[in-house]
Amino acid sequence: MRNYTKLTPEGARDLLFEECRALGEAKARLTRLFTRRGYREAMTPGLEYYDMFNLPGAAIPQQQMYKSTDSAGRLLVFRPDSTLPMARMAAARLRNHARPIRLYYSQSVYRSWPALSGRSHENPQMGVELLGAAGLRADLEVICAAAEALRAVTEDFRVELGHAGFFRLLAGRLSISPDQREEIRATIEAKNYGALDELLQPLGHSPEAEAIRRLPRLFGGEEVLSQAEGWGLDGSAAQTLEYLRSLYTALKDLGLGSRLMVDLGLVQRNDYYTGVVFSGYVREQGRPILTGGRYDGLCGQFGAQMPAAGFAVDMEAAAGLIQGQLPPEEASQVLVHGEPGFEMKAQQELIRLTEQGLACESSVWDSLEEARAYAEQAGIPRLLLVGESVREIQPGEEERP
Amino acid sequence: MRPLRIALTKGRLEKSTAELMGRAGLDCSALRDKGRKLILPVGEMEAVLAKAGDVITYLEHGVCDLGVVGKDVIMERGGQFFEILDLRFGKCGFALAAPAGTDFYQGYQIKTIATKYPKVARRFFQSKDMDVRVIKIEGSVELAPLLGLADGIVDLVETGATLRENGLEVVEPVADVSARLIVNVASMKLRKKEIEAFAERLERELG
Repeated sequence: MRNYTKLTPEGARDLLFEECRALGEAKARLTRLFTRRGYREAMTPGLEYYDMFNLPGAAIPQQQMYKSTDSAGRLLVFRPDSTLPMARMAAARLRNHARPIRLYYSQSVYRSWPALSGRSHENPQMGVELLGAAGLRADLEVICAAAEALRAVTEDFRVELGHAGFFRLLAGRLSISPDQREEIRATIEAKNYGALDELLQPLGHSPEAEAIRRLPRLFGGEEVLSQAEGWGLDGSAAQTLEYLRSLYTALKDLGLGSRLMVDLGLVQRNDYYTGVVFSGYVREQGRPILTGGRYDGLCGQFGAQMPAAGFAVDMEAAAGLIQGQLPPEEASQVLVHGEPGFEMKAQQELIRLTEQGLACESSVWDSLEEARAYAEQAGIPRLLLVGESVREIQPGEEERP
Repeated sequence: MRPLRIALTKGRLEKSTAELMGRAGLDCSALRDKGRKLILPVGEMEAVLAKAGDVITYLEHGVCDLGVVGKDVIMERGGQFFEILDLRFGKCGFALAAPAGTDFYQGYQIKTIATKYPKVARRFFQSKDMDVRVIKIEGSVELAPLLGLADGIVDLVETGATLRENGLEVVEPVADVSARLIVNVASMKLRKKEIEAFAERLERELG
């Protein structure tokens, strides 16, 4: 049998030095941002029951989940998503907590992507969930927090707004089978204009069919909303547009104008979103680095009905954005070398210096010559010799008796 | 900002695409006379030539914004991107074929299918609620039923001449295939105007 002692599994990897530093810095920036906005940290387990991610209407595709079993043979998965467990936890343990509940998390999610696609199967994410609050103010809070999270790692970003209910409303008014509806949804999602025309042809003319035909092209700036408003839709569809318009106007007033986009053709499958949905895009990343939205029905599936909204940031991508901008790492300032018999005294001296805030290293070399050579090679400017007394010597200087 | 980058499927589709872009008024001289360069200027854009599957790979990772690839590859490989225009060249179709004169669907025995496109074949029979055994073949699939390895094949069929020469006939068409213009999800959002203008120029030439 082949032995895999020297490799990491596909999609998992080691992080070294700069990468750790960038990830740590990105996490620190978002932690600062979220805690200052009143969000408190929560963690959920890395292992959960499979059933939780297989809820009707909110299922994660089963081929994407890493699975295992517990000692009783029950099916477990490695957390493929953080919003579902956060909703579970809030519904179970915070149902009597004062509203709204503001949570943030920093934990990895695991997905099994197709082999050799180059995607990470273990992905660190940070995100927030605002539970127990609905309406414009709550949506604005979550979207603004999302924009600030993007701004914390790059100046060059875009936030895109859509609405999960818009397509559902329009499709609900057409007399089509669930299969047809799914086919139509998939062609809108792929922005496959030609195939969508063919599917809609036999359905005749109605404002709804016409609106659906145009959905995949309906993305861009504010003009998208104006176009859709010109279709003469009524009822809930018109209210949805009106709501998006008020969100857009409010966010524009906040100075997000040039960074805002709208896509009325955002129609994801199997997801738990019920209201506004949004994504964050940055240059040189082929997919959104932030996704979120409102999911009012989810906590109810765990037994405590409450409105909620949130988002998650791909921290691997976020770290990649700041890695090049970080100042160089601080080198050690002092090498502390203890003479034979004075090793512990050297350690005490080192503790004293580090407590003063100096970056120090202890010498692991037996002779002063080796310590001196090491200091020179590692670029450590000061060398401290600890014996009966403590003396500083220049790394290049010869020791005089 | 770097110029828009389009990945073209090497070979026949590349020539048809160059011809179409030429008609749409883009300067494609670099594509006709490539030399050894791998990234070629086309009008204001950059073009790269790649194998069909790689077009999708480059596009999904966002190092190329646009791509031209056959629907056959899209169906077999899948992926997340936008498929915004049917370019109407490179036309052919997927079909189920079996030895001429036999009734493929008769009997209760599980059928064996040889194909270069296992996902397409599997999805086709899934839609019929039929359990089949799919065997992946890399080269001439027509050989498999002749050797007795398979009851039928799922393959790309253009004229049907190869099938006839090997005593096979089409049992049922599976899907139509032609070249498609595909777009990376983030590029479509961040560079909408340029991409739509390009797609419209091509669409106008398609009539």
